[in-house]
Amino acid sequence: MTIVTAISLDLLLPRKLKYIVALVSILGSLIAFVPIIFQYANYSSPEILFEGSYVIDKFSLILKGLFILVTYLTFLLSVNFVESDEYYQGEYYFLLLSSLLGALVVTSSRDLLTMFIGIELASTPMFLLSGWKKGDQKSNEGSIKFFLLGVLSASLILYGFSLLYGVTGKLVFSDIANTLIQSDLNQSPVTLLSAILILAGIGFKISIVPFHSWAPDTYEGAPLPVTAYLSVSSKATGFVALIILISKVFYDSGQGLGIILVFISGITMFVGNLSALQQTNPVRLLAYSSIAQAGFILAPMAVAGITSNYEDGVYASVTYLIIYAFMNIGAFLVINLLQRNIQSDDMYDWGGLAREMPLAGIFAVIFFFSLAGIPPLGGWFAKFVVFRSLLSTGEIFGLSLGIIGAINAVIALVYYSRISKIIWMDSPNENVKSNNDTLIPSPLRVVGFVSLILTIVSGIFPGIFSNLGEASSIFFNS
Amino acid sequence: MSSFSFLDSGLGLTVVVFLPLISAIFIFLIPKKQEMLIKLITLGSAIVTFLVSLVVALQFDFNDAAELQLGTKVSWISSINSNYEIGIDGISLPLLLLSTFISVLAIIYSFEHLPEPKNAKGMMSLILILETGMNGTFVALDLILFFVFFELVLLPMYFMIGIWGDKTVRSVSGLKNDIETRLYASIKFFVFTLFGSAFMLLGFLGLYFRGNKTFSIPELIELGTNGAFTGTFATLVFAVLFLGFAVKVPMWPLHTWLPDAHTAAPTVGSVLLAAILLKLGSYGFVRIALPILPEQAVAWAPAIAILSAIGIIYGSLACLAQTDLKRLIAFSSVGHMGFVMLGISSLTSIGINAAMIGMVAHGIITGLLFFVSGSMAHTYHTRDMGRLGGNMKLLPKTGAILAFTAMASLGLPGLAGFWGEFMALLGAYNPLPGLNVTIFRSSMVAGAIGTVLTAGYLLWMLQRVNLGEPKEEWIDQELHDADNYELVAWIPLVILTVLIGVFPKLIFGATNDAVIALVAKAFGG
Repeated sequence: MTIVTAISLDLLLPRKLKYIVALVSILGSLIAFVPIIFQYANYSSPEILFEGSYVIDKFSLILKGLFILVTYLTFLLSVNFVESDEYYQGEYYFLLLSSLLGALVVTSSRDLLTMFIGIELASTPMFLLSGWKKGDQKSNEGSIKFFLLGVLSASLILYGFSLLYGVTGKLVFSDIANTLIQSDLNQSPVTLLSAILILAGIGFKISIVPFHSWAPDTYEGAPLPVTAYLSVSSKATGFVALIILISKVFYDSGQGLGIILVFISGITMFVGNLSALQQTNPVRLLAYSSIAQAGFILAPMAVAGITSNYEDGVYASVTYLIIYAFMNIGAFLVINLLQRNIQSDDMYDWGGLAREMPLAGIFAVIFFFSLAGIPPLGGWFAKFVVFRSLLSTGEIFGLSLGIIGAINAVIALVYYSRISKIIWMDSPNENVKSNNDTLIPSPLRVVGFVSLILTIVSGIFPGIFSNLGEASSIFFNS
Repeated sequence: MSSFSFLDSGLGLTVVVFLPLISAIFIFLIPKKQEMLIKLITLGSAIVTFLVSLVVALQFDFNDAAELQLGTKVSWISSINSNYEIGIDGISLPLLLLSTFISVLAIIYSFEHLPEPKNAKGMMSLILILETGMNGTFVALDLILFFVFFELVLLPMYFMIGIWGDKTVRSVSGLKNDIETRLYASIKFFVFTLFGSAFMLLGFLGLYFRGNKTFSIPELIELGTNGAFTGTFATLVFAVLFLGFAVKVPMWPLHTWLPDAHTAAPTVGSVLLAAILLKLGSYGFVRIALPILPEQAVAWAPAIAILSAIGIIYGSLACLAQTDLKRLIAFSSVGHMGFVMLGISSLTSIGINAAMIGMVAHGIITGLLFFVSGSMAHTYHTRDMGRLGGNMKLLPKTGAILAFTAMASLGLPGLAGFWGEFMALLGAYNPLPGLNVTIFRSSMVAGAIGTVLTAGYLLWMLQRVNLGEPKEEWIDQELHDADNYELVAWIPLVILTVLIGVFPKLIFGATNDAVIALVAKAFGG
């Protein structure tokens, strides 16, 4: 009974908030968090709805919790941003909530239709939101790019799905997989083709190479909170869809897909990191960094495709996703705070800012070095579980990807340390407004401290993720 | 001793590790203006940490120094079977004490000697976080715990160098624009060390998967000495562990970050870097690489010996070419750590004992050298030895301590530096049976030449800096000799240098049994 109420709350509550402004959205997303917790606490076995096309298990509950929390933090980030420029508040929050709903659907979807609807519901509002700064040319350019590629990606996914449906005549993932195996089509070219099409489509959402080119422009043009949401929640939605598809449909499709993913993952890390090295615009830097991080998140799933050790792969990817979400939101918060003091696209203008804004300075250190994976901040454990799953079988692809990952972790340090270097070590900029720390609005403070605590706690007590291991084994075996 | 029995089950060590960190967090909450309060809390917590470590040392059963003691094992990350497993034996105890002690002195020194931009709050909390990292590395008995502490020292040291470091602008080959020394040195230090340790982590994971999925160092040693890790796998793992530790030591040719970091770092940073951080690498060899992968250690020993010998000669020759006082001492570290590694590579109890006392002695002596040279750089506003001279007349107290420390550093018998060098050479003369004697004896000869060169450059340094008549530019200037804070920080190190020099048993008493047991277990010698 609780479960049913929870689902209805889950699905309906955001919609009811359609015309109510910021405060209600924020409260709403907090309230939506409550049933998730109750459901998690009372969890006994996976709840299967609509003849297997919608499944609520621990895995999906954890991810739902993540998405709701991330959206909540995005709202808090947005409050001052939206107010300051007289944007359309109602629509803004409504669109974000719609996107959240899409993400929530994806986590539980177990058939082609539900998943497609979820993915598109999650990404369509973002086309609008990324062009929210209407007067700004960059915003328009980024938004158009994003829209065109987004439509292309949707059609690719749809094409891939239709191939699967055409071959098997089934919609539900488990049926598709069974039919494929029974009719000996699981390793056929058609299946591989559909997998590649789907991968290309989702590849846009998660911005892996070679489908990443929109990201820097769109990130730069979009309002900062939207960018944060894009780089965290949208990306996570795509990854969740990919993880479900790989481990539920294509788990027996031979090593071809895995090998393709291994190459993509390695190249994504290099392209993202090497491009990020040259950026002076902080948002573009984070855009390329998030491309590189996508390579890391993809890596365990790629190797799982070869070794068939999906349980470890899912655990590693999801752990990484969760930790990445909070540290990346934190990183965007830092940019936001610093821009409030000196509005600039060039981070070298921020010299010595930390002396006037020590709190923002500490945030910068924590979040950026966590992204770099320096213990004892959360990022190290994310990188660690990825390395662990890569090396678990001692198989050559995993090993090579592990070495590539280690090299990339070092490259990434150079640019992640740059912002801290500028604001703590460089000589002060003359335009610095003094004592800006006290002027940080309280919503931003909340975002900062919530992310800070999650980042640090997940680094010092990574034991909290042990539930996730169990969840991913339930997920895979159900 | 029984009155402290409540410190038995790991509590004492836990306090030693985490008290500094907790104080650092506490300091974050105090307003910046309460500078004296911040300094006092920092000093207080460092002193308490040191006292607790002393109590731990008193409780330590020296008759059973080969066994890991006073530790605990609590589940930490259950999903990967990594535990909060800590403990000390005769090998880690001296280093732990060195770490807690030097930290106290570094804080006392920082009371009055903070370079621009002052910010006592920042500096004090960084020293404390650094101390947690250092102490933690010496007591950790779980590879992942070790890794976390090993890396924890990076951030504070990076900021110490980057914020308080040398602001001179210099050109760097390969970079288009000139760059401030501190900025270049701090990121170079960070990238080099992370490069080594990222691969080291892969090695740890390899051991985990081959070794019954455990990260526990004692369990892995048990497996390793029973021959669980062999073949290409073991070669690869030893290679990456070598990379991780050798960067930190640093061994030639991975040493290039060290002179830059030392030259750029503020005095306290240099002291902590030289005295403790470098030891994390050599300690890693003794604690992890040798006993877990004994077969590989034997295979790699000649290569390590040769690299150490090159390091000794190269370090000394580089010293002779320096004009910068701090850079000279930095290169001397390369040489001295070469002796430590030479001792370790012999894989004998004499050699590893030499390495242990060498580490402690180098920590004390080079720490002191950096204290003194840092103060001189502060007083004279230059480190250029061509401009210095007649220091004995200008700053008699500082000069006397500099002369004493240089003597200790060149290995004068009766002072602490002697034992490490002498016994390392002895170990190399008679390495573990089965090792290529020619290579080791050649390395020994190289090391012996190194000691002569060491004496040469240190005496030459003294002649240029300390002796002679003061240069004109200094004569009418008011120069401050060492003040009380400096003397309180320095004199204990002078006393320790003499004590260890006269009674090396202070160190060997702890290390000897543990080292003999290690060698017997791993190499059957």
